[in-house]
Amino acid sequence: MNLQAASSPSRAWLTGMSEAVPLLGGYVPVAISFGLIATQAGFSAWEAVAISTLIYAGASQFLFVGMVAAGAPLWLVVAMTLLINLRHVVYAPNLAPWLTPSRLWPWLMHGLTDQIFALAHARLPQLPAAQRLGWYTGAALLAWLSWIGGTALGALVGGELVARWALMGEILPFALPALFLVLVAPRFTSRRWSLALGLTILSALLLTLLGLTNVAIPLAAVCGALCFQLVKFGHTAERKDAQGERHE
Amino acid sequence: MSNALWIAVLASAAGTLLIRLLPLLWMQRRLARQASDDRLEAMPQWLSLLGPLMIAALFGVSLMPVTPDAVSWLATAIGVLATLAVWWYKRTLGWPVAAGVAAYGAVMMLLG
Repeated sequence: MNLQAASSPSRAWLTGMSEAVPLLGGYVPVAISFGLIATQAGFSAWEAVAISTLIYAGASQFLFVGMVAAGAPLWLVVAMTLLINLRHVVYAPNLAPWLTPSRLWPWLMHGLTDQIFALAHARLPQLPAAQRLGWYTGAALLAWLSWIGGTALGALVGGELVARWALMGEILPFALPALFLVLVAPRFTSRRWSLALGLTILSALLLTLLGLTNVAIPLAAVCGALCFQLVKFGHTAERKDAQGERHE
Repeated sequence: MSNALWIAVLASAAGTLLIRLLPLLWMQRRLARQASDDRLEAMPQWLSLLGPLMIAALFGVSLMPVTPDAVSWLATAIGVLATLAVWWYKRTLGWPVAAGVAAYGAVMMLLG
């Protein structure tokens, strides 16, 4: 899982898959929980799997089954599901400069979750153009399949799994913050960026502690962006921070 | 599931895909129109700012332990430090994550 570029197009698939492995620590336990909760809410195992396959967006899936189980109007269920996923709007444009000409890319956006975005945003600029489609496909496919597989596992034997390996369900999800940390650490390139990123991390954590998990990501990012725009340290070199950062 | 519920699932799936897909098509058209040598120059500055900041926000949200108590917060702090330390030396993706999970797990198993 070295940050060096993959050496051939066929290896790019495998590199993408291997670099997405840390995501599984976060995906599988959450997917198992989703499968379990969906069946407890009255969905069959294959219906839970269908939801994970088609919608493929963690938090909004929990909301979807929860609202359906509570008897909410279906138009409201759909509206709330989409509202939670609205933060994904900024993901694809951020990757667009590194996407090669291919008709596959639009369809591959189905796999553009928070985690795949974070990984791709860091890795695609480092890869040769010929490797990017394969790398992204491998990473996104592994994440998608793990989400579907985890849901099936949770729907079928989730209760038993949670009872037997409760501690593993608490430990493995730490792979996600660890991965995000590795992806965000190289961005601390100047005082201005450090302040904006630090404020974003703290406000996201604070909003989550306050129970506002669904709005924490976009709100915290907007806080950080405002901080970046408002705070200047008087160094002309930092004026080009936003541009320079994108080239790293 | 009833037919109405299936329609709700399909509408949510199609809507989510469009949320991820349409901004890509917009950006690709913008890049094609500008035909700049440096495709990054064509990206609005606010958008390029939001990319890294969204990842930072994801990190902040994910720091919340599954069961928040003193031990899991301590484990989170030690896991973060272990991840950072290994990243500092190795500059890879996999080893820092493995070290972070191992450190987090060790604290949870010893003190939890």
